[in-house]
Amino acid sequence: MSRTVLIGLLLLGLLAPALSDYQIYLLTLTLLWSILALSMGLLLGYAGEINFGQAAFVGIAAYVSTLLRLKLGWSFWAAAPVALAVVVLCAAAVGSITMRLRGPFFVLVMLAFGEIVRLILANWQEVTGGPVGLRQITPPEPVLGLAFDTKLSFFYLVLVVLALSTLALIALVRSRTGRMFVAMREDETLAEFVGVGLSRHKLIALCISAFIAGLGGLLMGPFLTVLAPNQFSIFASVDMVVMVIVGGIGTLAGPLLGAIFLIYVPELLSFAREMRPIMMGVLLIVVTLFLPGGLIGGLLPLLRRLGGRGAARKEAQHD
Amino acid sequence: MLAQQLINGLVLGSIYALSALGFTLIFGVARVVNFAYGEFLMLGAFLTLTTMTVTGVDFFIALPLAMGMTALLSVAAYLLAIRPVMRGTDLQALLVTTGMLYVLREVAILIWGTAPRQMETGLDGALEFGDILITHQRLLAVAFLLIMVTGLYALLYKARIGRALRAVAQNRFGAETIGLNVDRVISFAFAVSGAMACVAGSLIGALYATEPSMGGSPLLKAFVIVIFGGLGSVPGAIVGGLVIGLTETLVGAYISNAFKDVFTFLIMLAVLLWRPTGLLGVRST
Repeated sequence: MSRTVLIGLLLLGLLAPALSDYQIYLLTLTLLWSILALSMGLLLGYAGEINFGQAAFVGIAAYVSTLLRLKLGWSFWAAAPVALAVVVLCAAAVGSITMRLRGPFFVLVMLAFGEIVRLILANWQEVTGGPVGLRQITPPEPVLGLAFDTKLSFFYLVLVVLALSTLALIALVRSRTGRMFVAMREDETLAEFVGVGLSRHKLIALCISAFIAGLGGLLMGPFLTVLAPNQFSIFASVDMVVMVIVGGIGTLAGPLLGAIFLIYVPELLSFAREMRPIMMGVLLIVVTLFLPGGLIGGLLPLLRRLGGRGAARKEAQHD
Repeated sequence: MLAQQLINGLVLGSIYALSALGFTLIFGVARVVNFAYGEFLMLGAFLTLTTMTVTGVDFFIALPLAMGMTALLSVAAYLLAIRPVMRGTDLQALLVTTGMLYVLREVAILIWGTAPRQMETGLDGALEFGDILITHQRLLAVAFLLIMVTGLYALLYKARIGRALRAVAQNRFGAETIGLNVDRVISFAFAVSGAMACVAGSLIGALYATEPSMGGSPLLKAFVIVIFGGLGSVPGAIVGGLVIGLTETLVGAYISNAFKDVFTFLIMLAVLLWRPTGLLGVRST
C-alpha cells in the first residue's frame, strides 16, 4: 500500500505540467493537508493517541518561520530549521507533562495547549499581528538553482516534502521504535509489562508527529500568502483526525486518501463546500461505527479480489 | 472595586460550574468524554427560546419543558451513537462524540440560522450593596447553581437511582454482577446531564446570546474545570468552576484582559503537574 502511494505521487508529479492552474492549486492544498494528516496518522494510528492540539504545532512552525522572514529578513531556508526546532522543543515540553497522564487527560491537555497557542497568536498584537495575522508572505527564495515562484514549482516542493515524509515514516514504522508504538497502541498494559517504556515512546511519537506537522506549517505561509490564528484552531486538528479515520487508521496511505477525500473532492464539487462540516460529522460517526478500517479497510478486500490473493497479501504485509 | 470583581467572578464561576456539572457526571458514570456536550447546551438554549416564542410562556415555564426535551435528545444520542462504542476503545467514543458536535451544530444552523438571538428572562433590576452592583439576571446564575447542586446531591445520595448511579460510577462490571441494568442507569445519567446542559445553556443564552456556535466556549471551559477539579468529580466541578471564574475575572481586571484565558490554562497545567488527577480527582481504574 505504501509503495502504491509513492507511485501515485510520482505519477502526479509527471502529470502536473499538463494540469490547469486551478488544478495545481487544488492539488497543492490537498498535498499540504496530506502532510498534516500524515503527522496525525502517526500519532493516532501507531501510537494510539488522538491530538486535538496538533494544529498548534502547524501554527508554531508557520508563525516562527514567517516572522523570522518578515521581521528579521531571514531566508526561508534559514528560518525553516529554526522553526522546526522550536516546534519539536514545544512538543517535548508539553509532551513531558502530558505523557505522564493516562486516558482522557492527554486529549484534554493537548486541546488546552492548542488553545493556549491560538490565544497567544490572536492576542500578542505587536508580534503576531493579532487576529488579522501576517500578510504578504513571499514564496521561498531560490535554492540550489531551483526557484519556487510559480504555482507549479511550489507544488513540486510540497510533493517532495510529502514523499520524503512518507518514506521516513515507512522506515520508522518498520523500525524497532515503530513496533514499540504498535505494541503500545494494541495494549498499553501488556506493552508496559514486556518492557516498552510507555511515556518515553509516546513522547518520541509526539515529537516526530510535531516535526511532520511543522513541515506542513512551514509551507502554509508561502502557499496561502497570509497566516491568521483561526487557521490553527481545534477545528483544523479535528479535520486532520477525520482525514486519518476516514482514510484508514493505522496505515500511512490512509491519511493521504482521507485528505483527498476531504479536501480535493469537496472543493471540486463546489456545492459540497457548505455541506463539508456536516459531512465531516456524519463521516466520523458512520466510519467509526460501521467501517473501522476506513476507506483503505474497505478498499483492501476489493484490491485483494482484483489482484489475486498472493499480490494482496504481499501488499498487506508491506503496510 | 475588588468586591465588585469578586462578585463578578463568583457569577462567572457559577456559570462555568453549571456548564461543567453535566459533563463531569457523564464521565463519572459512563467514562465517556462527551465532546458534543457543548452542543447540548446550545440545543437547550434554543429549545427554551423556541418554547417561549411558540407558546408565549415565560422563561421559567419554558425552561423545565426544554430541560425535558434536551434530556430526551441526550438519551437518544447515547442510544443511537454512543452505546454502540461503549465496549470499544475510548478513542471510538471520542470520535463519535466529536462527529456529533459537528452534526448537531450544523443541524442547529439549518433550523435556526447563524444570527445571535436575544432571550428575555423577564427579570429586571439589580441588588445594590454600597457601590457593589449585581443584576437579578446574573444573580440567577448563582441561584441556578445552588438549585442544581442541591438537586444533584439529593439525586445521588437520597434517591434509589442515585445509589445505582454511584455503583456504576465506581465499578461498572461489579454493578452488572449484582444485577443492575447498567445500560438503563447510564441512559438515566445522559438524561440528567442533558437537563443540566439545558439549564446552563439557557442561562448563557439569556445573559449573552443564543446562537449555534455558543457551545464551543463553555465546552472548553468545562474541560479546563474538570481537569482542574478532577474528571468525574461533582465537587471538583463546582470548586473548579468557581476558582476558574474568579481567576479569570481577577486576572482580566488587574493583569491582562487579552491573556486571561491563557492564564487559566496555565493554572490548569500547573495543577496537573502537581496532582495528575486534578484537585479532587480520584485515581481512574
